[in-house]
Amino acid sequence: MQRDYHDLLWGGILALFGLGVAGYAAQSYDFGDLRRMGPGFFPVILGLILAVLGIVIAIPAWWRQAQPEPIAWREGVAVLAALLFFGFSMTRLGIAPATFVAVLIASSVAARRGLVWRLMLAVVVTALTWAIFLGALDMPIPLFPWSR
Amino acid sequence: MTTLEGLAHGLSVALQPSILIYSLFGALLGTFVGVLPGIGAMAAITLLLPITYYISSEAALVMLAGVYYGAQYGGSVASILLRLPGTPQSAVTTLDGYPLAQQGRAGVALFTAMISSFAGSLLGIAILVLMAGWLASIATQFGAADYAAMMVMGLVAASTIGSRQPAKSLAMVVVGLILGTVGTDVNSGAPRFTFGQTQLLDGINLVALAMGLFGVAEVIANIRKADRHGPPNRVGLRELIPARDDLRRICAPILRGTTLGGFFGALPGTGSTISSFLSYALERRVSRRPQKFGHGAVEGIAGPESANNSAAITAFVPTLTLGIPGDPIMALMLGALVIHGIQPGPMMLEARPDMFWGLVVSFGIGNLFLLILNLPLIGIWVSMLRIPFRWLYPAIIVFICLGVYSVRGASFDIVMVAAVGAIGYALALAAFSPALLLLGFVLGPLIETNLRRALLVSRGDPMIFLERPIACGFVIATLALILLPLARRIRQGRG
Repeated sequence: MQRDYHDLLWGGILALFGLGVAGYAAQSYDFGDLRRMGPGFFPVILGLILAVLGIVIAIPAWWRQAQPEPIAWREGVAVLAALLFFGFSMTRLGIAPATFVAVLIASSVAARRGLVWRLMLAVVVTALTWAIFLGALDMPIPLFPWSR
Repeated sequence: MTTLEGLAHGLSVALQPSILIYSLFGALLGTFVGVLPGIGAMAAITLLLPITYYISSEAALVMLAGVYYGAQYGGSVASILLRLPGTPQSAVTTLDGYPLAQQGRAGVALFTAMISSFAGSLLGIAILVLMAGWLASIATQFGAADYAAMMVMGLVAASTIGSRQPAKSLAMVVVGLILGTVGTDVNSGAPRFTFGQTQLLDGINLVALAMGLFGVAEVIANIRKADRHGPPNRVGLRELIPARDDLRRICAPILRGTTLGGFFGALPGTGSTISSFLSYALERRVSRRPQKFGHGAVEGIAGPESANNSAAITAFVPTLTLGIPGDPIMALMLGALVIHGIQPGPMMLEARPDMFWGLVVSFGIGNLFLLILNLPLIGIWVSMLRIPFRWLYPAIIVFICLGVYSVRGASFDIVMVAAVGAIGYALALAAFSPALLLLGFVLGPLIETNLRRALLVSRGDPMIFLERPIACGFVIATLALILLPLARRIRQGRG
């Protein structure tokens, strides 16, 4: 039988996360009392509520059938890689190379293969980025590694 | 200020060329993203949030609001022609719009959607004007306990009404509330959940959170799905002209839909999506030909489309008069206002009449724009449906990065967006609602502050929530929202 693993897993994660939040807050921050709530009061209560909700989500999922959604691994990895590359290279390399490469990384998982349309897209997006963020909004970021 | 004076004043604000241009820009951009399946109003508003730093607060709000109601117009185009709702609010429109398009009557369906949207918006504006003044005068009597109780009710309503799995929705709200506590505690000054990271002292960045949840997660989910549809049929201008019979049929649904949407839009926690579903159910029930629903009944388009537009306008009532956003999009709007140092609340009508009335009038002008422009431009919007998603999403990713970075110049926030995006995608796969997480995140600090203040006033006596009539009403409503579905479920389990 195919159990509802999504809910089982997420219910468990949320319950643990809730307990973690409540435990950490109780240990690290002053709880206070109803009259003068400390910084720990709200997080402890919320963490406990979340733990209960996580259990409520997970338990019925054990007896329920569900078809898990296929995970878009390749798409996810490419999008995250493009984001991280852009984040790390933007200030170091400038936004022109950062945009160009990020577009190439992101478009590598598109349904259509081929390099020509991707290169053209990278050029267009780079030009747009330059026009909008440096031209119109005048953001203080270098365009190329040498333009500082 | 009387209503007439206010409207005259608003007209003078809204007709300023700069405001007019931002209103038009927002409305057109909204229609554009609404038409394109795969990008919603939420993602578009998030992407525009950083840009609002560079323009005046009136222009910012007018533009973002334009995106919101523009997306409602655009969403119906993809719903009718491709059976792909561009926005969740227009999902119901697929039920009768797509069959009409298949019968070769796409033009009539589009006309009905647009005229109903316009009528719904206009009547929504009237409701907004009437209710806002009244609510603002009551709201001055609201105490901290009332605010806290009302916000809790709003969150519970948003997660239980119309939700198939209320526990999952509530869990998202609570996760949002927890994320909202990250950063320096306003009352004690103690840093919470910062783990020594100075970047976290100001709390989690709203823009980074929203972009991760709605930008990155949606892009990942849509790369495979978005380009699977065939090309839409062309729609000529002539086909838009409805028959007299159609016109007669849509009048009453528009009135009912507007009233329904206006009411549910103004309630915290219920918004335009729920209104459109309720309106559809209502129309089918009162119709003399219910068998026609689902096979191309214009009433099934007119009711929901007027309801969701009316609700989109009246959603501003609690946001502007109480400072409490009723739905996630309003939470983003509130975020935009706070960026500009404006705290909406009962005093805003008095203190910033230019803002309130300017916004009200610009709603009217923007919707007029949309009606006038969209009918002749329909051919262009239809051809937009041919733009493949693979051309758009790499640009969206770059814009997300630059948008987040521009907020405070921290590359750390881009890493944060990537992390939130990965988690958001995994949550969306398991049918958790990221929108509710955001709503909880925005309301969290407000709830905590008001809760503390209320209990400080009552010297720690929680009975204050039952002694104050307003708060007590909200507490009872909250309990009903939790217990009624629970009772129904238990009964079903037995039977």
